Amino acid sequence: MRGRGRGNRALPVFRAAAGACGVALMGVGVWAAWRGDDPQDPWQVVQWLAGAVLVHDGVVVPLTLLAGLVVVRLRARRAVRAGLLVAASLTAVAYPVLFRPGVPQNPSVLPLDYLRNWLLLLGLTAAVTAATVLVRAWARRLREGPRDS
Amino acid sequence: MKLPLQRLRRPSLRLPGLPFPSFSGRLHDARTATAVGRLLGAAIAVCFVTGLVSHVLQHPPSLLANSLPSRPSWGYRLSQGLHVASGIAAIPLLLVKLWTVYPRLFARPLVRSVRHALERLSVAVLVASALFELFSGLFNTAQWYPWPFSFVPVHYAVGWLLIGSLLLHLAVKAPDIAAHWRRRSPGTLSLPAEDGPDRRSLLAATGAAVGAVTLTTAGQSLTPLKSLDLLAPRHPDHGELSLPVNRTAARAGVTAEAVRGWRLYVGGPRPYEITLDELRTVPQREATLPIACVEGWSRSARWTGVRVRDLLDRAGAPVGALIRVTSLERHGAYRVMVMPHTYARDPLTLLALRLNGRELPPDHGYPARIIAPNRPGVLQTKWVSRMEAL
Repeated sequence: MRGRGRGNRALPVFRAAAGACGVALMGVGVWAAWRGDDPQDPWQVVQWLAGAVLVHDGVVVPLTLLAGLVVVRLRARRAVRAGLLVAASLTAVAYPVLFRPGVPQNPSVLPLDYLRNWLLLLGLTAAVTAATVLVRAWARRLREGPRDS
Repeated sequence: MKLPLQRLRRPSLRLPGLPFPSFSGRLHDARTATAVGRLLGAAIAVCFVTGLVSHVLQHPPSLLANSLPSRPSWGYRLSQGLHVASGIAAIPLLLVKLWTVYPRLFARPLVRSVRHALERLSVAVLVASALFELFSGLFNTAQWYPWPFSFVPVHYAVGWLLIGSLLLHLAVKAPDIAAHWRRRSPGTLSLPAEDGPDRRSLLAATGAAVGAVTLTTAGQSLTPLKSLDLLAPRHPDHGELSLPVNRTAARAGVTAEAVRGWRLYVGGPRPYEITLDELRTVPQREATLPIACVEGWSRSARWTGVRVRDLLDRAGAPVGALIRVTSLERHGAYRVMVMPHTYARDPLTLLALRLNGRELPPDHGYPARIIAPNRPGVLQTKWVSRMEAL
């Protein structure tokens, strides 16, 4: 490997320095939450941080993996995976505007018909996915056609 | 070697009662993690820096309290638009990245050494703070606060926790990242070659997801994309006189009764009071400046009014003085706003009386509001009643 000798000496120092900076910045965060200008209850913050991990690792990823078990068996698995990823991302981003409880403070907050827009985008995603699958299948048939006949 | 993971598992390490899943799926590898991770890292870096800019503009450290720059006039619009857009773009990236590395959660032995335990703890902090920052920010843009604590200080503090744990993670993983940085890097070449096309397909899909969430939300600040704004909490065309509103006169407790007989008090060595009719006879200036909100939406508008520095000069206010601006609003964290002299002396900073050619509506701050370049929307004080040199 080129420059290995020099890299071997400099890299550990650089890594250690970066790691130490990281720990220091984490310390800034803990201090800001606990002792900053507007201190908050650290226990509540820890609960929400841990809750985010539990919901993600315990619910979101297992559901994704279950969906994956089905998708890998499909012939058009790559296109379907892409479609599901786009649809899931749009849904995650739309979640607050779709499900926010209560009446917005004024008519310029959440002014759109988000349910309609979200369904429209999911429909569009499904249509693009289906079109991709069909075009690929058609192209494959064109390529393989002469051999079949 | 292409052994399924199950066959590599050593049964002697299995803990009774703890079902460890096995992962035979592909792409839970270091090359995929590196390729997605570097985009995620870039998005988080942009998000952190722009978040810090926003924090400093709103809560300046004493060193900068009277010297924040008032230019470029579109500075805050760009930086806060980027903050929210990079946070939204990071959501698909984070979900794919965490899916890729998920099997490592069940790596055995769970803990090998003190160092290994600390490393796993730092990854837990990284994952928790990344999920929290992206989703708390997203919920904030929709003005939805399901948590019991106050949003701003916690979002700020966890931002430091995120950037710190990310830097530590990069330091720990540097050799792995370097070994998988390119398609031809040694680590990448040691992975099964037949995963290449599948990986490129996943990366393209991730790019499509980032594009989809960006295009359907960026129109709330990037006006040319407003026709694609389908999922953002704001739309540039929704709001009185084509300008969205955060806090209405009713919510601020500013009634028609409260503004009747309104007079502006300007404090300084030669303090004076001035009525709305008198203000209209002072030379009027026009400025095209955006309202750029912390929640990511922004909209440019045409403002007409009196230069703040002209009003201050008449009171004999010192050029370098901090200016305190007080609103008629009854309650709220932004009733009193302190303006560095850099803004107060900027010729674009107005006490605006008109918006887009019409008299200010009550929800936009009638009788008079502040509009200054390069400032967060919450500091563009509405229903102004006093301006004083400190």
